[in-house]
Amino acid sequence: DDQDEVNQNYLADEEEEAEEEAQAVSEYLWDPEKRMSLARTGQSWSLILVLYFFFYASLAAVITLCMYTLFLTISPYLPTFTERVKPPGVMIRPFAHSLNFNFNVSEPDTWQHYVISLNGFLQGYNDSLQEEMNVDCPPGQYFIQDGDEDEDKKACQFKRSFLKNCSGLEDPTFGYSTGQPCILLKMNRIVGFRPELGDPVTVSCKVQRGDENNIRSIKYYPESASFDLRYYPYYGKLTHVNYTSPLVAMHFTDVVKNQAVPVQCQLKGKGIINDVINDRFVGRVIFTLNIET
Amino acid sequence: MDGTSLRHRPGATASPCVRKPILANSALLLLFQKTLEIYSVEVNGNKAMENVDKGGGKEKYRGLKNNCPERGKNHPKEELNTELDLDDHKLSSKELEKKYSTNIVTGLSSTQAAERLAKDGPNILTPPKKTSEVIKFLKQMMGGFSILLWIGAILCWIAFGIQYSKDPSTSFDNLYLGAVLVLVVILTGIFAYYQEAKSTNIMASFSKMIPQQALVIRDSEKKTIPAEQLVVGDIVEIKGGDRIPADIRLLSAQGCKVDNSSLTGESEPQSRCCEFTHDSPLETKNIGFYSTTCLEGTATGMVINTGDRTIIGQIASLASGVGNEKTPIAIEIEHFVHIVAGVAVTIGVIFFIIAVSMKYRVLDSIIFLVGIIVANVPEGLLATVTVTLSLTAKRMAKKNCLVKNLEAVETLGSTSIICSDKTGTLTQNRMTVAHLWFDNQIFTADTSEDHSNQVFDQSSGTWASLSKIITLCNRAEFKPGQESVPIMKKVVVGDASETALLKFSEVILGDVMEIRKRNRKVAEIPFNSTNKFQLSIHETEDPNDQRFLLVMKGAPERILEKCSTIMINGQEQPLDRNTTEAFHTAYMELGGLGERVLGFCHRYLPADEFPETYSFDVENMNFPTSNLCFVGLMSMIDPPRSTVPDAVTKCRSAGIKVIMVTGDHPITAKAIAKSVGIISANSETVEDIAKRLHIAVEQVNKRDAKAAVVTGMELKDMSPEQLDDLLTNYSEIVFARTSPQQKLIIVEGCQRQDAVVAVTGDGVNDSPALKKADIGIAMGIAGSDAAKNAADMVLLDDNFASIVTGVEEGRLIFDNLKKTIAYTLTKNTAELCPFLIYIMAGLPLPIGTITTLFIDLGTDIIPSIALAYEKAESDIMNRKPRHKKKDRLVNQQLVTYSYLHIGLMQALGGFVVYFTVYAQEGFRPTTLLNLRVKWEDDTMNDLEDSYGQEWTRYQRRYLEWTGYTAFFVAIMVQQIADLIIRKTRRNSVLQQGLFRVCTGSHVPLSCSRPQYWFVAVPHAILIWVYDEMRKLLIRRYPGTWWDKNMYS
Repeated sequence: DDQDEVNQNYLADEEEEAEEEAQAVSEYLWDPEKRMSLARTGQSWSLILVLYFFFYASLAAVITLCMYTLFLTISPYLPTFTERVKPPGVMIRPFAHSLNFNFNVSEPDTWQHYVISLNGFLQGYNDSLQEEMNVDCPPGQYFIQDGDEDEDKKACQFKRSFLKNCSGLEDPTFGYSTGQPCILLKMNRIVGFRPELGDPVTVSCKVQRGDENNIRSIKYYPESASFDLRYYPYYGKLTHVNYTSPLVAMHFTDVVKNQAVPVQCQLKGKGIINDVINDRFVGRVIFTLNIET
Repeated sequence: MDGTSLRHRPGATASPCVRKPILANSALLLLFQKTLEIYSVEVNGNKAMENVDKGGGKEKYRGLKNNCPERGKNHPKEELNTELDLDDHKLSSKELEKKYSTNIVTGLSSTQAAERLAKDGPNILTPPKKTSEVIKFLKQMMGGFSILLWIGAILCWIAFGIQYSKDPSTSFDNLYLGAVLVLVVILTGIFAYYQEAKSTNIMASFSKMIPQQALVIRDSEKKTIPAEQLVVGDIVEIKGGDRIPADIRLLSAQGCKVDNSSLTGESEPQSRCCEFTHDSPLETKNIGFYSTTCLEGTATGMVINTGDRTIIGQIASLASGVGNEKTPIAIEIEHFVHIVAGVAVTIGVIFFIIAVSMKYRVLDSIIFLVGIIVANVPEGLLATVTVTLSLTAKRMAKKNCLVKNLEAVETLGSTSIICSDKTGTLTQNRMTVAHLWFDNQIFTADTSEDHSNQVFDQSSGTWASLSKIITLCNRAEFKPGQESVPIMKKVVVGDASETALLKFSEVILGDVMEIRKRNRKVAEIPFNSTNKFQLSIHETEDPNDQRFLLVMKGAPERILEKCSTIMINGQEQPLDRNTTEAFHTAYMELGGLGERVLGFCHRYLPADEFPETYSFDVENMNFPTSNLCFVGLMSMIDPPRSTVPDAVTKCRSAGIKVIMVTGDHPITAKAIAKSVGIISANSETVEDIAKRLHIAVEQVNKRDAKAAVVTGMELKDMSPEQLDDLLTNYSEIVFARTSPQQKLIIVEGCQRQDAVVAVTGDGVNDSPALKKADIGIAMGIAGSDAAKNAADMVLLDDNFASIVTGVEEGRLIFDNLKKTIAYTLTKNTAELCPFLIYIMAGLPLPIGTITTLFIDLGTDIIPSIALAYEKAESDIMNRKPRHKKKDRLVNQQLVTYSYLHIGLMQALGGFVVYFTVYAQEGFRPTTLLNLRVKWEDDTMNDLEDSYGQEWTRYQRRYLEWTGYTAFFVAIMVQQIADLIIRKTRRNSVLQQGLFRVCTGSHVPLSCSRPQYWFVAVPHAILIWVYDEMRKLLIRRYPGTWWDKNMYS
């Protein structure tokens, strides 16, 4: 019985405590006696708000000043450093967030989106547009344009017709309808990048894994399978407005059908790195072709 | 406790009477009646005595019971309410023999004994239930902080589970983070466990390993057996110096005296005989208790209780019934965890809602939520706090405070009341000559620890005689083989007063043993309580002097009765009214100081009556013991340790109330309290005021008195409200004549005032109070194992002054922990903001989980531990102890200042560096906005930057890491500023000295251009300047709104 009484006392105490706590909380939120909310009077609240207002205002001023100084020290035309983006990466078109080219020749639905993608991509390379906007500069040498960095630079023409059979001009399906797909290879733009020693960077593709004879022939357009020197150097988006990235089209004219063929296309040339283990897109690109008939 | 007798102290005489038949007292009372009104406390003593006489002497017993029914559920002493069903003291020997089926002459037979041993178990106190090592270890990993980390780890793994189920190629950061969190908890747990185990080991080495022996009669033979094999019914013999091996009923005794201090706190020896003198088993003289000591004489007794069934065993088992209070720092850390958890969950939920309304997928939002919560967990703090506490514990151990429980390190710092024992803690625990009276003058002797500086006049002829008496009339001797030991440290065989006299004379006169040899002793009557004097007769060292010298010492009034002359300046003069008066005045004065006074007299026996061959017969006293020549008085006291007054002053200026709790007589207690400053020189008790104003005690306005001396008897009659009243209204309190059980009441009373109470104790019976106290301090030298077990801290040198050092360290660590936490919390904002911005503005992630972890557990650990070494900001011992409920370790000011001021500045600094890095590499801030999805798209390998350059995914990732590093460097650089500003809380850093801490605190990292190191430097300087301004305003305008809101 004593124990019971003790327990009851204890429970009663707990209830009391809970009540007291509720009371304390409500008083903390608003204490009518001292006219305080959250343990602060109106004056204290206004002071604290003023303090934070000025403090944050000055912080905002400080960061504005910092960012302003930052922009002062950074040229809008040329990046300060380019090592992180070198050596150049490689990307292919058509690009549909996947590097598996899986289509059935006899079912246009399976390859139609490649064609649309390529057509869209090549709009900027239309001969008429290139001739209108860009200059025809001499091949085989760098197209160096001296002058201030804020001067507008001219860009060399890269016409769609350079891509011959892969231009989509003669074969609007880029070979997909015949099981001879065209894939365009693009080297990432880097401001100031120049292939070393005047040797243009070339492209070569082969079967990455498996029987080399799975790909019996590839045609490259331009035939040199290279990026001509005249497209370098790149002067940056702001001044080199119409710069057109050079392309190399790979025309897989004879590939084993009904079988996934992993293909690796590499850049070759002085100063080109194509075997970085962590980065599978520096100097090379790997994709699979699975053409069904 | 004291272990010495108070036989001859006039002031104290009233009280030992408590335990004596009234008749024996009245003679003494009459003798001192005329002086009673002068000594108000003494009046009290008499009152107390009357009470006791009326109440049938049950007082002590009630004191032990302590039952206050109105105090209900919290009362830990319920068990004591059960009456001790002990009535063996009332039985005759025959009845006892029958009851315990034993034989007083032949004892038990071995077989009987073996049977009983098997039935009742060995005669030892069951050691307090040891927590299993595994549980101790697990407890270390389940504390407030660890829980936070465990939850963090589990959340991480949940987040990883979600990510992994969505995309098996996801990054393993969350998995690792969870693992690291768990690792941190486990490692810290191991470390803390190891630290505590180490101090437990030091403790273990203290416990006395020598098993106690007992002389027992079994099979009609006397045998020495280990005390733990004693069983009920055994007949044991004890003699002076033995510890009583069990509760025994005495069957016969010769001059037996026991020291019951370990049981009752009473330090006066009590005589023991075989008669039943009192109903209460605790009062009756025919029972000896386990663990008390027999001081002198011999006795035979029958064992009536063994082991846990003994009285002391029952008290000891109480300790386990008293709950352990949570340490203040544990409460603080819990509070801190609540705050951090609150902040984390609030921010997490807010951004969860924002993320959902920004059309993030719910699963992603959940991962963000988890990420935010985990980012708020200060991973390094657990380790830092543990290391910091153990470093301080180590430092304290060097200063003789051994900390058993790491958290107790800080508790000492928040202590607001210290309840201290007197004997041994405040005093040196040895009787020492304090005053001498001869030639009508009181001289003061040096009572410091080494006695080196005795300045009183030693040229008088009276001193020559007095010194001869104290040398010769003394049975105490140094134990042999201590030639190289300093005199004060030598071990002496003999009682406390004789020891004091021996050491005193050895210091002043040189080789006492040699003097005694030259003055051969021919006869001697040792001290006994009927005579109240001690006498010896010696040949003189002068070969031409054929007389014998009779020397005598004893209770001053008894000695004076036997004298007809008095020696003044070496000349004998008749003892007239004036000199008697002078004697009484001196005697009362010394008695009033709480000192034990002895009188000394001598007489040269005429050579014609007592020739060289005279045979002295001490039985028939065939020599004169009257008409002696009174030489002088000497008074002794257990003097305060010389370091104590200083320490008490320090406590006082530190706002700590020191309460003395002692079993000693109020007069002694008050005298010591005054001499160490517990009662300050100018404060008065109610009794003092009454005396000064010549009015009755009842008429005094109680508010006028600052000090109070309260006896156990008075305390027993107080209601809790009255005790509360006493504790709040008097700043200087001495509790005298208290039983150790009353200590518990006092502690509880203090705790009701919201005080953090430190309690010192040494006896088994102190253990409940030690456990109940916020910090129990056991004595390393004098303390019993039970006390050490119950305590949180052990004073290795039993010295009160060490407590004060501990307080200082404790306060320092509290301050420094605040600094450490402020330092650690600050960067939380800087680590969290990037994540928030990442969610809100779609920037590439500015700083990654692993990098954050590297800051928290890598670069920031050493500086935050270094803050623990920060020296005090000068005022540490001059301020009040922190209020348990108001001065929190982590308060709103600290959190807001860390998170919203410095933290935010750091975050901004970090972002400036981040934007600089990205802008220089090609991504200007405008491009970065909402780039997140494309940036993180693995198939996107030609993402265009602000200059038209195209980036592969890996190149972007590498840039992201560069960003992490830069942000990391920015935080680090600014954390240096943070470290500098956190060195002080009020003073300017320039006042404190700048370069003590920062060395070796940060390591550089590759993967970052060196110039990024400098981008954050202006921000670091900005932080410093801002904080210096804040502190300047705090110092300039103390108490203002700014001070209240910005002092963290």
